[in-house]
Amino acid sequence: MHAARLRPLLAKELAEITGGRALWTMLLLVCPLVGYSFAQAVSLYSEASATASQTPGAATNLSPLDGILIPTFGAFYVAVTLLFPFVAIRVLGQEKESGSLRLLLQLPYRSSTIIVTKLAAVLAAWALVSIPALSALGAWVVLGGHLAPLETLNLVFGHVLYGLLVGSIALFSTTISDSAATAAIIALATTIGSWVLDFTLAGRSGWSAWIAELSLTQTLRTFEQGLLSIGLVLGISAVICGLAALSTVWLPPGVSMRGKIARSVLCLLVTIAALGIATQIGRSFDVSEDRRNSFPSADQQLLATLRLPLLITVNLSPEDPRYIDFKRNVLGKLERAMPNVSVVVAGSRQDFAGQSDAYGQTQYVYGNRSDVSRSTSPREILPLLYALAGVQPPAAAPGAEYPGYPLVVNADATLFWFFGGLPLLIACAWWRSRHPPAVKLVAFEGGQS
Amino acid sequence: MTSADFNGNKGQLFVELLRADDLSKSYDDETAIANVSFSVAPGEILGIVGPNGAGKTTLLETLAGLIASDSGNVLWCGEPLPAPRRKEAMFYMPDGITPYQDRVALDVVSFFSSVYKRSQAVISDTIAAVELAPVLRKRVSALSKGYNRRLLLAIGLLTPQDVLLMDEPFDGFDIRQSRNIIQVLRHAAARGRTLILAIHQLADAERVCDRFLLLAGGKVRGIGTLRELRTQTALPEGSLEDIFLALT
Repeated sequence: MHAARLRPLLAKELAEITGGRALWTMLLLVCPLVGYSFAQAVSLYSEASATASQTPGAATNLSPLDGILIPTFGAFYVAVTLLFPFVAIRVLGQEKESGSLRLLLQLPYRSSTIIVTKLAAVLAAWALVSIPALSALGAWVVLGGHLAPLETLNLVFGHVLYGLLVGSIALFSTTISDSAATAAIIALATTIGSWVLDFTLAGRSGWSAWIAELSLTQTLRTFEQGLLSIGLVLGISAVICGLAALSTVWLPPGVSMRGKIARSVLCLLVTIAALGIATQIGRSFDVSEDRRNSFPSADQQLLATLRLPLLITVNLSPEDPRYIDFKRNVLGKLERAMPNVSVVVAGSRQDFAGQSDAYGQTQYVYGNRSDVSRSTSPREILPLLYALAGVQPPAAAPGAEYPGYPLVVNADATLFWFFGGLPLLIACAWWRSRHPPAVKLVAFEGGQS
Repeated sequence: MTSADFNGNKGQLFVELLRADDLSKSYDDETAIANVSFSVAPGEILGIVGPNGAGKTTLLETLAGLIASDSGNVLWCGEPLPAPRRKEAMFYMPDGITPYQDRVALDVVSFFSSVYKRSQAVISDTIAAVELAPVLRKRVSALSKGYNRRLLLAIGLLTPQDVLLMDEPFDGFDIRQSRNIIQVLRHAAARGRTLILAIHQLADAERVCDRFLLLAGGKVRGIGTLRELRTQTALPEGSLEDIFLALT
């Protein structure tokens, strides 16, 4: 048997996904959703900018990442969570229901090739439905707004991974379901259930916190903070690959149930192992323009030279707002800046009953020296650490401060694009996809005898 | 080739290409096929004949590897052919499917042709043979039952595997159309392709097939050429229908 060509299979998958109503309907729904969020975000950003212009130094808090990108892509996230499963289900659901899958599985392709091609089609579909959100970025630039390339790309990359994750869940649920309707129920139960899980268990400790960490929404948080975490990227990739592998296992019909279950267990074990390895990779990069996840560069350089182990024992409960603040402003930054940092959270508030003096204290042990502080501010912690290490605090580098990007602008005109122009273009593209050019038919019609 | 015997109908040496050996498949407590064994030769048209529910479709899908059999083997030129490799040797065209219904018929034909790298001449000849040209611009969902069947036939004929399995290939055709399609299938067999056709219309089966496998209740009731079956049932002038009734 000859080697099968990938191109016709990929072309077929792309044509299938663009030929369905689900994709175009989602695109039309995303336009006003993203457009309204964008206009609201610009309005609020403008108000904050107007206030900042009267307060010296307030402009440094105005970041387009927080003010514009996250709210705009937040609306897109909601659309992907609720609607994208329907689009992704089509790449397999239609073939299952029409019986075409039985033909597809007999073509000279491996099941894994078919699944990977379908995932590629899902990615292409995501790229199409992201057009309104990406056009919002263009609109922001046209309005005179600032975009930092790295943090913008990082955020978009996070949404690509999230889209692929939702797509692979939908694909797997279609593989194990008899109908597209059942697949939709399974996929939505996973995405919406995960969403509910996230805000229900937010701020809890112990098992609740651990379960909340499993929420799909958590995958975006790190990217929204301007961080590119290698462990997170690998973890999400492992889950996507695991779901693709499970889909490959369940796709061929001529395999016994026992065989499928055995292979699924193997896939699950490999995925869990890969996830475990990914969680051990603490390497991350601060790609935010305002360096919100890092100390000033002079401090970063000096902290990187402190090679001895630093043990930090925090006597705060994980749900205490002070701990959350401390983790964001100090602990997370220290873990990225120093080569050898260990953090121990001493326990819940009940553990400190009767020892009210100890609660709130943090102990720092560096080499054979230690100190205690109740502060959660880097302005006090960093000098303490330098003293423990016996080094002089670095001089602040002039001009390194984030300037902020205030902008007072009216975005109402963009609503014409999101509510009129873009939907019209999408409707035209939809119509065009339903009426392909007739030129290519002539050769075959001429062949009739 | 590992086995050969004498084909009584044509007086030729029977060279075994594909053999099904004791195939069985049950769904829960219901037996779909039980200990089905048969073999086919290159260029032969074998008809799997039986009423609805006889197990014809299950037998074809088990042969094609789309259903896992409970027991039994499929041998290719005497060597075991595991289910994942069956698609290298045979292609199964199911009944009652509407492939890629949102696409126009030509797109569907072009997809299968390009996967198997078929030339434009072959595609044109196939389209002409099954008389599909008038509906090439139509969406598959808008095709009549007859034209949908022609599309499936075109796909089947464009595949290169040595054995083509087809479920109810004449369903949806009138008598004249069926005769034309029989010629097309005979032409394919004359070029060396082996066809295994599941047919419930006995008259159609009698016109197109070289040999018959009579299936009822999932069990083989008879196998052979029409002459062999007549001898077996002692019905020298009997039609396939008479023979089937005598054996079941």
